[in-house]
This record gives sequence, structure tokens and C-alpha cells, in this order.
Amino acid sequence: MQAQNLRLSGIIKDEQGQPLKGIVIYLYPASRQATTDVKGYFVFNNLSAGAFEIQTGHESFKALQFKSELRSGNLHFPFILHRLPHQLAEVTVKDKHIASRRQEESLNVEVVTADFIQRNLGGSLMKTLERLPGIKTIGIGSGQSKPLIRGLGFNRVVVVDKGVKHEGQQWGADHGLEIDQFAAGEVELIKGAASFVYGSDAIGGAIDIEPARVPAPYTLGGSVDLIGKTNNNLYGTSVNLYGRKRDWFFDARVTYQDYGDYRVPNDKVYVYDYAVNLHNNQLRNTAGTETGLHLNTGYINDRFRSIFYLSNTYSKSGFFANAHGLEPRRVDEVLHDASSRDLLMPNQKVNHLKLINHTEYQLPGNRLEMELGYQHNFRQEFSPYVNHGYMPPVYPADLQIPASLEREFDKRVYSINLRDNISLGRHEVKLGANLERQNNDIYGWSFLVPSFKQSSTGAFVYDKYKLSETVLLHGALRYDYGQINMFAYQDWFNSTVTTDGVTAMEKLTRAEDLSRVFNSLVWSAGLNYNPAGGFSLKANVGKSFRMPIAKELAANGVNYHYFSYERGNPALSPEQSYQADLSLAWAAPGWSVQLSPFYNYFPNYIYLNPTAAHDYFYGAGNQVFQYAQSRVERYGGELQLKYQLLKNLTTEVLAEYLYAKQLSGEKKGYTLPFSPPASALFNLTWSPKLKGRFEDSYFSIDYCITAAQNNIVPPEKKTPGYQIINLQAGSKVRIHKQAVMISLQAQNLLNTRYLNHTSFYRLIELPEAGRNIVLSLKVPFNVQSQTHKQQNN
Amino acid sequence: MKKPLLFISLILLFFTGCKKDSTSEIDTEYPVINIESATAFPKQCSTVKRGETFIFRAQMSDNTTLGSVSIDIHHNFDHHTHSTELATCDMETVKTPVTPFLLIQSYPIAAGLSSYEVQQEIAVPASVDPGDYHFMIRLTDKEGWQTIKGLSIKII
Repeated sequence: MQAQNLRLSGIIKDEQGQPLKGIVIYLYPASRQATTDVKGYFVFNNLSAGAFEIQTGHESFKALQFKSELRSGNLHFPFILHRLPHQLAEVTVKDKHIASRRQEESLNVEVVTADFIQRNLGGSLMKTLERLPGIKTIGIGSGQSKPLIRGLGFNRVVVVDKGVKHEGQQWGADHGLEIDQFAAGEVELIKGAASFVYGSDAIGGAIDIEPARVPAPYTLGGSVDLIGKTNNNLYGTSVNLYGRKRDWFFDARVTYQDYGDYRVPNDKVYVYDYAVNLHNNQLRNTAGTETGLHLNTGYINDRFRSIFYLSNTYSKSGFFANAHGLEPRRVDEVLHDASSRDLLMPNQKVNHLKLINHTEYQLPGNRLEMELGYQHNFRQEFSPYVNHGYMPPVYPADLQIPASLEREFDKRVYSINLRDNISLGRHEVKLGANLERQNNDIYGWSFLVPSFKQSSTGAFVYDKYKLSETVLLHGALRYDYGQINMFAYQDWFNSTVTTDGVTAMEKLTRAEDLSRVFNSLVWSAGLNYNPAGGFSLKANVGKSFRMPIAKELAANGVNYHYFSYERGNPALSPEQSYQADLSLAWAAPGWSVQLSPFYNYFPNYIYLNPTAAHDYFYGAGNQVFQYAQSRVERYGGELQLKYQLLKNLTTEVLAEYLYAKQLSGEKKGYTLPFSPPASALFNLTWSPKLKGRFEDSYFSIDYCITAAQNNIVPPEKKTPGYQIINLQAGSKVRIHKQAVMISLQAQNLLNTRYLNHTSFYRLIELPEAGRNIVLSLKVPFNVQSQTHKQQNN
Repeated sequence: MKKPLLFISLILLFFTGCKKDSTSEIDTEYPVINIESATAFPKQCSTVKRGETFIFRAQMSDNTTLGSVSIDIHHNFDHHTHSTELATCDMETVKTPVTPFLLIQSYPIAAGLSSYEVQQEIAVPASVDPGDYHFMIRLTDKEGWQTIKGLSIKII
């Protein structure tokens, strides 16, 4: 007869005998898990007799595996976990906490580590993440891109950096996200509406970037990264230095990257019918430079931590000189082609300064958290003055704006987040509030969006209820209130105005003072079912919202780069979205499958509708693009398969599909702009145990197939399908006692010419970058580590 | 071996799911500006005279319904932008404009037409700067597809 109701408990301490809290313990074959409390104590109740195995997984400690058998009595074990040297952790330990994060979250979550970033290093963090199913980017050039989650991007995706919503100029397709990918610790991607945690804008999803982990006590060390890329002749470095006494730590990083014009597999491209010869296959003037400065410092003890994050990212990059936007340009080719590394006009400079404090305090049964943030985003776009429409033919000498400053956006953002995480028996409750204040100023000789001030306040409650060992229920409610005040703008030049047959010259008023108030109540409900045996299911339904942005409400200017006159709509209502998500997963030794379909409905999706009209008054003869709202239906999903062919050989398939359709309005029957076509990635990875100095070696090939995108909406063009091959290889080499991590990539190995449907340059038929070999080296070093200290003692 | 079978069938399932293309009747064709006919004017590298009137004549067509047409004549004394056309024209040297000709005008197209010939008189004042100009034609259809033709012309 089998004994029931047995108990297995234990206590987990580190090498110094300090109890470790927050360590996740996995119990097999029951497939259960527990987390240690402040005293390092964990317990599993209601167990049956039999053999069992427990495992732990934590990035900072060596994994523990322990086998024993429960017979008739309860068991209690003390364990000691050994700390791993900082930074090396991610590649050494299987990230079990990621698995647990997925199982305890009803939304569709992907977590990637710094290891993934190192292996797949792209031109920007978002480009690196593009390998994940459901993630694409909208980009320009080789180093700037914005995330697109299941086809939604711009202000429909929230990027959270160190706990605070990252605020740049999210609405623009021609610049990237101001994030240094070397400084990212772990990145969590939420596919699907997540407004209840992240507030307005998380209607398409969220990307949560966590900083590097706090170093272990009594350590001093760092790492040096070196990067080189062949396509745009990029070289760069990122140097990290960290240290910690018992409670105080610092973690500093400097990143520098410089790159030349990028190459495409063509020596000629056509901007409309005009042939542009490319010198050395290079897209003229797409060079750039990037710097990142980071300092994280703070105090940590068992109950209290307060960390300051100071960072500044700066980038200067050029736009393809033969086309500013969609407008073909004749340029001085001799001047441009003299060097592939110089930067002439048109170009842009973006600086993003950030100061964040994260403070948390652990009380019995609840944890209080607070983030305070200040951000200053400053973007300038430089271009030689070209008179468009009614602008004077010669730039006026008395105008204060510099003749080369086409646009300037100056944004200051203040944010406060407060959260309380409460454990109440089977409930885990999160209460929170967010406050944000933005000041946006504009400058430059072209006008698109007026300056504005915006404030928003939100409060939410979220409950995770453990119904049983296998079922988790989630419920959330959030209320938001926001106000936006936009300021009047008048042209600096005269336009020809004809009223009742009388022609006059006058300065047009582009924007009037305008104030709007929005509020919204959203909710979410979800479920996780994780029975024993490898199957798991999660489901979520929810409502999300987004406040219209200043551009959508008050744009009134000609975007000469698109030959469009963009007109805002001050009457727009907050965008709402209803989304249902399902995720089914099976995992067993040797294989795993995950299928994640979703359905999404917008009763009032906001979008820029290209109309049939031309406006010669405000629009200087350009086509009128008018913001409008329509009902939209979207569905799709991702599939992930992993199969272990041999001991060291695995294969993986990542596929995604998306369908979007407007159900009302002038574009009824059409899709939404920037809808990524269906795609699949087939991967084969060989991870041999090589003899000698090599550890963690891998050789990996990605074969990516992207279908044609024929489902388009004005002003898009149909994009043919394509296939590309990427290779990745790497290893950790020990030279004496020094480890060096080498990663090598060949992106677009066959130098395939293809067009990316979601690229900014798609409309003028510019192909994507050709073959790119990326070599990166990471050399971690420890000046003082815990193990040394122990030996010395 | 059951597992690989499951594996493959899932891939197939997924891709057959993708293939279900929506048979839509949406219009994805751009309207067409035709300046090929002998009577069309101006063409790439055409010349017009100051103090005279010329007739802008071009054939507009669309697979469904035309929207509107707009023209924009502006100087190209600085050679800033290039036209959308294949053929290049002889350009004068770069110069600073004094009183360049600027004309921005949109012309209505009667509702419901799929083909329309624009015939519009355009007067070039005698006082404008002679030199290289752009003659931009923008044509939309009802769905909002726009075709742009940027011609290089000379005013003498």
C-alpha cells in the first residue's frame, strides 16, 4: 500500500551559511515546484511514497540535483548552493526560472538571456530579438529598429527598461530604440495585450528589459566585449566593471560602436525609375556611431535594496543620401563616395539620458517596490534646406532656426511607479500605481507634430490565485486617466491662399491649442494549467487600451519624405482592444512543442488613412493622409518545435502567421500597414563536447523562409517571399585560467537579395543588407571572487 | 517512432493553416499616368516659354475609379532632387533662385471615372526665372493609391 500525505522539506543556504530566499526547487516526477522563503526553507506536502529527484535552477548558483526516496516518513534535508562567478552564470546554468516564469504567467511570455543576445547579436537589440517567433522589426539602415510584436508596433508596444517605460519618439519609423544591447541582462517579451500591467500603449505587447544582475557579495570583476562586422565594417567594444562589498555595489559599462555604410547585394538600385549606382555595393551615407554609458549603483541587503541606474545613449547615423524618405535625390557622388565611414547630410542625432531609482523593501508577506525615473530624449534631423510647397526658394537669412535643422524633438519625461506585492495564502496580489508627466518641444524648419505636454495616471490590482497544485488563476483590473495639451503652431513662411477668388499670401496656422482628457478601465483574466506529464496550457482574455498620441490628434503638415499631407483628428477616442490568447505546450525528454494562437479585435483602431484627395492649401498639393478609426480583426499564432535528434544534435522550428483585416471605414477589407508575412525558421544545432580547452561549443544553422506579402494597404507594395540562411557558432575557450567566449555569425550567408516588407526603405525598393560576418569576443575577468576569498581565508 | 511523426504533422498542420489565403476583392493596383501619346505634354525634358501658355495634357487611368490629380511646378536650380524618370536631361549650372516659378494646383476628376484625359491650360508668367524645373504629377485612385511622376522641364 502506498503511503500518502508525506512531506519533503529542506533548507537552502549558501557557502557562508546564509539562508537563500527565492530559490526555485523542482520536484520530479511530480513536476512540482516550490520557492524558498526568507529563511531558505521550502516544503512539498501531500506526496506519495517513491523515488524522487529535486533540482534547483538559479543563475547565480551552481545547479543542484539530488535523488532519494520517500518511504513512510517525512524527510528534511539541508542543502548548500555554490555561488557561480558573476557573468559566467548565464551560459553555465540551465535557466529553469525561465521555464517557471512561462508556467506561472497566463500571457504569452518569451524570455531571452544575455547569452541569446551574444549568440544572435544583430544591429540593434530589436534586430537581435527578431529571431523569436512573433517578433519583427521596423527599421532603417543597419543600426536602427523598432519592435513589431505580432504586427503591432510604434506606440502599440511598450518597452520597459529597468522598470520604467522607455519614452522616445516611438511613432517614427526612421529611427531606432535608444537601448544599448550590451547593457541588457534579460529581456522578457509579452506577446499580446498587456495594458493592465504596463498601462496605455501595451496594446500590442511589451518588452521588459532587465539590467544585468547585481554582482555577488565581495566580488570585483568585469568583462570586455569586442565586436566586428564585415557588412558595414563595424567595430565596437563594450567594457564592464563591477564590484560589491557586502551590501554596496557598482556596475559600470561603456559601449562604443562605429560603422560604415552598409552593403546590399546590388550595385544599382532604383528610386522610382531613377537608377542609383552604388559604389562598392554600399548604401551611400548610412554610416554611424553609437555610444552608451551606464552606471548602476546601490545598496542591497536581505530586506531592502535601492539601486540607481544612470545611462546615456547617443547615436549619430546617416540616411541613404539618394533618397530622403521616398524622395529621390541627386547627390555629389564623388563627395559621398570618398569615404564609406563619413557622415554627411541627411543624418540624425539621438541622445537619451536616463536616471532611474528602484527601491524595494521586503516585509513579512509583502514586498514594496518603487521606481522613480527621469528621461531626456533629444533627437535632431539634419538635411540641407530644400524648399517644398510654398516654402521660400532661398532660406531666409534672418530665420533663427539653422538651415540644416529639419526637425528637432525634445522630450522630458518624469515617471513614478509604486507596487506592493502581497502574499496571502494561495493568493499573490499586486497593487500598483503609475504616474507620468511628459514635456515635448519641437524645433526645426519642417513641421509635423505640435509641441505638447501630457500627463497620465493609472492604478491596477492583479491577483494570482493558486487554485490547486496544477491550476493558477489570474485576474486584473486597471484604471487610467490621461490628459494631453497641445500648443498652437504657425508656419514661418507664407502660403498662397485663395478665398472667394481673392489670392493672398499668409502664414498658415497648422495647429491650434488643443486639450483632450481620456480615461479607460481595462481588465484581464487568465488561467494556467500545468498537470504532471509535460502538457501545459495557458489562456488569457483581456481588454487593453491606448491613448491617442499628439501626432494622431494634431498632425497638420506635409511629410515631404512620403509625399503625404498628414492630418490629425482631434476627435479620436482611446483605442481599445479585446484579445484572447491560448498557449498549448507539450514537453518531454527529447522534444517540446508549443502552439500559441491568438485572436484580437479592435472596435476603433487608429490609423493613417491615405485618401483620394489632394490638398493644395495646407497640403501644398500632396495626397491627404487622414487619421481615422476603424474596426479591425486580427488573428494568428506562433509555433515552436524542438526535437533532440541525437545526444548533441537538436533541431528547432519557429513559425509565425498573422492575418489582419479592417472591418469598417474607408479601407474596409484591407489589412493594416506593416503586417509581417508568414515566416518559418528551421534550425539545426550541434553542441559537441569537444576535448581540451573548449566548453559550451555550438554550431548552428538557421534557414529562414518568409512568404510573400500580397495582403497590402495603400501606400504599401506587394513584397515577394525570400529565403535566407544564417549561421552561428561559438565556444568558450580556456587559455590558462582565462575564459574567452567567441561567437561567430554569418547573417544572410548566401548574400541573397530580398526586400523586407516592414523596412522603412521597402517603398523605394531598397534591398536588405547582404552577407554579414559578425565576430564577437567576450573576455570576463575576476579581480576578486568569492572562491578566492574563501581560499585566502 | 511516434514523436517525429507528431513533429512533422504539426509543421504540416501549421503551414496548411497559413496557406488559407483570403480570396479578397480589394484593389491593390496603382493608377497610371500616361504621357506616352504624341499629344501628351509636358514630357521628360520638355521646354516651355515664359510669358506663354501651354496645355498640360496627360492620360489618367485606373483599374477601378480615379481620385484626384495634382501638379506642382517648382525650380530645380540647385539640382536638389532628381526626377522619377529614367532619361536625364541637360541641366544648367546650379544657381540661386530670385523669382522662381511656383505653381501648386489640384484638378478635380468627375466621380466614377476609370479613365480621364487632363487638359489644363497653364500660364507661365514672363517675370519668372528661366532654368530647370520639376513638373510633378500626383494621381490618386479612390482607394488612396498614389502614383507620382516627377518630370524635369526647362523654362526658357
